[in-house]
Amino acid sequence: MIDIPKNLTQFLFEQTTEKEREWLEEKVKSNVLDLMTAFVAAPRFLSKKIVSYDSKSKGCLIPHQVGFQVDGWNLVRLSRVWLLLHLPTEPKEQFIKNIETLFDTAELNELVALYSALPLLPYPWEWLPRATDAVRSNMGFVFDAIALLNPYPELYFPELAWNQLVLKTIFNGKPIHWIYGIDRRKNKELAEAVSDFISERLAAGRKVPLQIWRLVSPFANESISPKLITLFTSELKAEREVAALVCFESTNPQVHSLLLKYPDLELSIQNGELDWSKLESIPE
Amino acid sequence: MCQNPNEPSKNPSHFESIHSSENLPTHRDLLWEDYQNLIQGLRFFDPHIHMVSRTTDDYQMMAKAGIVAIIEPAFWVGQPRTGLASFKDYYSSLVGWERFRSSQFGIKHYCTMGLNSREANNERLAEEVMEILPLFAYKEGVVGIGEIGFDDQTPLEEKYYRLQLELAKNAKLPVQIHTPHRDKKRGTERSMSIALEHGLDPSFVVVDHNNEETMKSVLDQGFWAAFTIYPFTKMGNERMVAVVEKYGSERIMINSSADWGISDPLAIPKTAALMKQRGIPSEVIRMVTYQNAIDAFAKSGQIDVTDFETESQPDPNAKFHGNSILRGGQQPVINKNSLLIQ
Ligand SMILES: [Zn+2]
Repeated sequence: MIDIPKNLTQFLFEQTTEKEREWLEEKVKSNVLDLMTAFVAAPRFLSKKIVSYDSKSKGCLIPHQVGFQVDGWNLVRLSRVWLLLHLPTEPKEQFIKNIETLFDTAELNELVALYSALPLLPYPWEWLPRATDAVRSNMGFVFDAIALLNPYPELYFPELAWNQLVLKTIFNGKPIHWIYGIDRRKNKELAEAVSDFISERLAAGRKVPLQIWRLVSPFANESISPKLITLFTSELKAEREVAALVCFESTNPQVHSLLLKYPDLELSIQNGELDWSKLESIPE
Repeated sequence: MCQNPNEPSKNPSHFESIHSSENLPTHRDLLWEDYQNLIQGLRFFDPHIHMVSRTTDDYQMMAKAGIVAIIEPAFWVGQPRTGLASFKDYYSSLVGWERFRSSQFGIKHYCTMGLNSREANNERLAEEVMEILPLFAYKEGVVGIGEIGFDDQTPLEEKYYRLQLELAKNAKLPVQIHTPHRDKKRGTERSMSIALEHGLDPSFVVVDHNNEETMKSVLDQGFWAAFTIYPFTKMGNERMVAVVEKYGSERIMINSSADWGISDPLAIPKTAALMKQRGIPSEVIRMVTYQNAIDAFAKSGQIDVTDFETESQPDPNAKFHGNSILRGGQQPVINKNSLLIQ
């Protein structure tokens, strides 16, 4: 069994009725098979009300895992994660087999719970193939469970898988700023792929979500200048602002110098009035 | 449809050959498009359909025809599975991908879980399947154990039928019984008496694929009688109308059992239109095409009608939470009559 932080258990029980709490406490005392069946059967015994957890006022649920958050989850999802943490973690092979069985037989909401639990489970590298599989999923909620607001990818995904996750988030029209650690794992490969994506979309006469420019900016070079020049002449304020942010963050002197023509935009960036968070509308 | 364009006078319109509009039309070219308005605004629940074998076009037509919810029983995919993994994947698709795909068309998807009678004859595999079945039986949206029962009526079929009745009893789930094509009457009686022997409450048991020969005993013993409107092999919908005229709506429900065979996912709305045309009261139609199935399977505690009875038409764009079946940027509903593909 994993050392379950008191905050998590306490918060969970604040959300349950007396009867639900009794059911949960009884299940974690039972054998492994019953525990696994309880994971499956949870919606038959627990309500699906949405929990809201304000980490700012209440502190962190998992002290060693700052990125882990449960806001907006329903009680079943939270309980399932909590139930998983009660599985015996030794011997390792058995623990892995049990988790794999749950994955193999899972329905949509169970998958969401399983992926949500990944950052808390022991032997984190063992779950990597599962986690990258979820990125390939065409089921929106499953994809979201690994890609958005989940600290596991930032911690364990190799660069190639990380980049796939980000690209697929863009491709699916989801907000990339919900990818945990998005700014910390920017990289050149990703910047090039995003840059190609932008070209492809613009050539097809389509728009791109403005947020994705932030992935390009640190690596922006002359090749991208024509697109930035076009953005600067856009009628949309947000597009002009994005162009300014890219130029400001680029280490390429030529790109950076494009900003000279727009001193007011440069000033608002320097004053902290304009940054990527100001553009965080959900793309398209 | 075999109209000869050179002989228009020999091709009467649909009712020309029918003398009284009271009569049940028998014209072969009776076109569904001409009758859809009869069931405008009605809601349908198909408690037996194998969507795994159907296309997205079917989903679109079904939604358009008023089907708001369906049950997909676990069954035979047309060829025997050779390993446990195939069963696992199949069961997972019923609660995963197929449920999700259905939701994309605004249709609520439930399923029943079971080891089908044909494959019960592979004992080694059947044993393994029985081990993982409980993990699936307790899942959200699983409204019963099904479809189980007899095919060849072998001892192995009986063994796994009994074991699954026990599972249903423990999980407090309804049972959906598949009755055999051959030797149907005896197979149906046998299925029912075994269910009673195991102490199942007949109000928890839906006996499927009934015909005029089997239905009386099913109803008399307190079971639900389901009828499958399936071309050529099972019930035709004219026969179904006659059954409802004679027996009314109590504990009777109809389904399409549409699958990989020549079958019709619109069997329920089409039958409803026929019943309407035939003057069967709306409430009776509602019971056999909607409410009875819900009442029977809601005993699982897994059906929440607000999931599909809310009046607002699903806004496909709002529901399309991201990717789904749609490839990058595709729109959920395409205009099939348009030459342009954008
Ligand atoms: Zn079937």
